[in-house]
Amino acid sequence: MDLEVLISSALTALIPAYVASFVLYAVRVVKGPTIPDRVLAVDSLGYDLAAFMVVLSILLRSPLMVVCGLALVLWVYAFDIYVAKYLEAREMGG
Amino acid sequence: MIELVLVAAGLTLIAIGVFYDFVGAVGLLRLPNFFTRLHAATAGAIGGAVVPMIGASLVALGAEYLGPPRFFLAGAAFASGLLLMILAQAGSHAIARAAYLSGEAPREPILYDALEKGGGE
Amino acid sequence: MEVVPISIAAIAALLSIVATYLAVRSRDLLAAVVFSAVQSTAYALIYYVLMAPDIALVYIPVSVGILPAVTVMLVKKTERYEE
Repeated sequence: MDLEVLISSALTALIPAYVASFVLYAVRVVKGPTIPDRVLAVDSLGYDLAAFMVVLSILLRSPLMVVCGLALVLWVYAFDIYVAKYLEAREMGG
Repeated sequence: MIELVLVAAGLTLIAIGVFYDFVGAVGLLRLPNFFTRLHAATAGAIGGAVVPMIGASLVALGAEYLGPPRFFLAGAAFASGLLLMILAQAGSHAIARAAYLSGEAPREPILYDALEKGGGE
Repeated sequence: MEVVPISIAAIAALLSIVATYLAVRSRDLLAAVVFSAVQSTAYALIYYVLMAPDIALVYIPVSVGILPAVTVMLVKKTERYEE
């Protein structure tokens, strides 16, 4: 029971740093001068949000919710590849 | 006793990951150019996402109050970290190559361009 | 313990409001696609924090994966900048 209090208090103390990082990534998305800057910021935002979801599933005591992080990683990578293919060849799927 | 060791190691890894995450965010906001922001973004993706996922899997192995589904959490978190360690570099490389070849991003503060004379494609 | 998920959901909701306004007002349609992806990511976090992981598991592929793919294809077929 002591271990539970330790894990919960430590993870709760780490949450404001995560939220501050997300706000800074969002500021770069809003003010980024070109398209690749914005795509890079969305990329990092999605990856760190997946890690945050894994941490939150420990904190909320529901271990089956961890699958959303895996799905978010895969689809944010797919979004990155779409925009890269548009910028490089101006041709989708070929 | 082994649970306490696992939880302490996992919480240390999660704290290191939060530090890398904040450093990556500040670097992405402060650096002057796209090709230098790429460095900060990759540091934020690898140090800020892969390391906390492995730390979360260690914490879940040590936390006995979650019951038997904690092994599912540990395995899924470790698999996510391993997959992200492959995918983050691939995505960053794709977007950097597209930005260089299409001339979308400015390369203004530059010292030397090794790809300038036909090396890019 | 109850105040942490609600405050995270509130911050994600404010971020989605900003992203939606910029996506509607933007002249560059590719930037509008990127802002739409930010809004989808914030909504996925809201669904996750409100303990609905099944809805988040369906919402993420539809709104982060398929909708930007179709919209980028559409922007490629027509023009990138709006008049």
